[in-house]
Amino acid sequence: MMNIKRVISTIEKNYILSNLKKEERIDGRNLWQHRDWSVKSNVIASAEGSAEVSLGKTRVITGLKYDVGAPFPDLPNEGVCTFMAELLPLASPLFERGPPDEQSIELARVVDRGIRHADCVQTKKLCIKENAAVYILFVDIYVINYSGNLIDAGGISALTTLISSKIPEGIWENNEVTWTGKYLSGDTLVNELPIVLTYGKIGDIIFLDPSLPEELVCDGSISISVTEDKITSIQKSGYATLSIEEIETLSKKSMEIGKKIRKDLNLWQYKR
Amino acid sequence: MPLIIKDEYPEKLFREDGKRLDGRDKYELRPIKMEVGVLENADGSAYIEWGNNKIYAAVYGPREVHPHHLAKPDRGILRVFYRMATFSVFERKRPAPGRREKEVSMVITDCLEPVLFLELYPGTAFEVFINVMDADGGTRCACTTVAALALADAGVPMRSLVTAVAVGKIDGELITDLSGIEDKAGEADLPCAMTWFNEELSLLQFDGSMDLDEFSKCLSLAKDAISKIYEIQLDALKKKYIEIQEEYSGGEKKE
Repeated sequence: MMNIKRVISTIEKNYILSNLKKEERIDGRNLWQHRDWSVKSNVIASAEGSAEVSLGKTRVITGLKYDVGAPFPDLPNEGVCTFMAELLPLASPLFERGPPDEQSIELARVVDRGIRHADCVQTKKLCIKENAAVYILFVDIYVINYSGNLIDAGGISALTTLISSKIPEGIWENNEVTWTGKYLSGDTLVNELPIVLTYGKIGDIIFLDPSLPEELVCDGSISISVTEDKITSIQKSGYATLSIEEIETLSKKSMEIGKKIRKDLNLWQYKR
Repeated sequence: MPLIIKDEYPEKLFREDGKRLDGRDKYELRPIKMEVGVLENADGSAYIEWGNNKIYAAVYGPREVHPHHLAKPDRGILRVFYRMATFSVFERKRPAPGRREKEVSMVITDCLEPVLFLELYPGTAFEVFINVMDADGGTRCACTTVAALALADAGVPMRSLVTAVAVGKIDGELITDLSGIEDKAGEADLPCAMTWFNEELSLLQFDGSMDLDEFSKCLSLAKDAISKIYEIQLDALKKKYIEIQEEYSGGEKKE
């Protein structure tokens, strides 16, 4: 058990700050390093796709369920992919029970936007019959242990879940959906791999992947989603302000780091 | 619209060789794996894999009661929150807790309360959060078992552990430890839990139909199964300390 409070002691805050000023971190990382990743896929038998991702001591489990429903009227031949996040009260004394709060909605929405604008999920392949039946995918992220930076962990786990999914293939026959006996494999539904990267900012120091104590002393953070060659979403949160130069540097940095993570984690290996 | 693959059950729940659909004998338990201290942030935690069930439990407390009016001036309170992940079942569950989850939470609270010394903790609450990440029948029993472990891991004073199992009837035969299909398609389901300090039943529910002979046979089947699960529970609890002991044997941490 750890003694976790929303307010961090001045002495610890100063320790974190003095380390960051020397371009060091309290856990021995440099400014542009993630904590250790661990990715497991296909962990939930009842889900059509699933992943368990740890980033340091932060742990999330994500699962995919599908439904068949009517498409949106303005996109009659496209399926739907939705994201939800739950900060389980078992994950941290800082989380409370009840309907989703701002933090969990932000997590789901930032992950969603990074993926939605990246040409990642091929929603046209999720159409069974135009105007009548499309797949609705639910990607639900559950936080099991909270130790800072849920967004990066949530992003990787959502991607892994999508890649590792196997969804029953349906065709339109006699005005209803029937099963062909085959499955749609997640890796054929996913095209680009958008990676979301979160940076913390304290004063004028910016660093990747804030851990929990760092997150608690941060003035704010910025999450940037990148594909191979494009930025797909940005979210600035907290009361920090960022200069235009800083944002430009971070965008460039994100491209590099995104490439490295895509290579290191090799998420395509989780296809089924 | 219905899902593409329908949630259908086979007509017979026994195979031709007399075994159950998952290859078990009538009184055989599914494989059970338990571990304590799995969640860093909680005061106590435990994880159980019981067949395809995958469940986490975490204990926080004794701590302040929210909302405050629930606090009792002369004793602590136990609150259990049983929740299922949306993807833990065949058809996606809605994220908000339903009636079933609230009932199971209450049943587990009532089951665990007799083993705790709540009178020692006036004005506070012990909160047990149980999250079913993958479900395959018998989750309330698995949850009770894992919640007791998490309480023990948190160092909460307890009279004893609590162990639970479901027994029931499928195709006219009595069986131990119903799987998801057996639970839905079977004739009777009897989840029960035993508090070891008095060896009495502290959780008991029954759905289905059985005559009195079958019922008392069921209870004795349950007792046998519960004893086996209790051993696994104790081993899981001891294992954490054996590991620490080995790591630090001779007063120094081994490399």
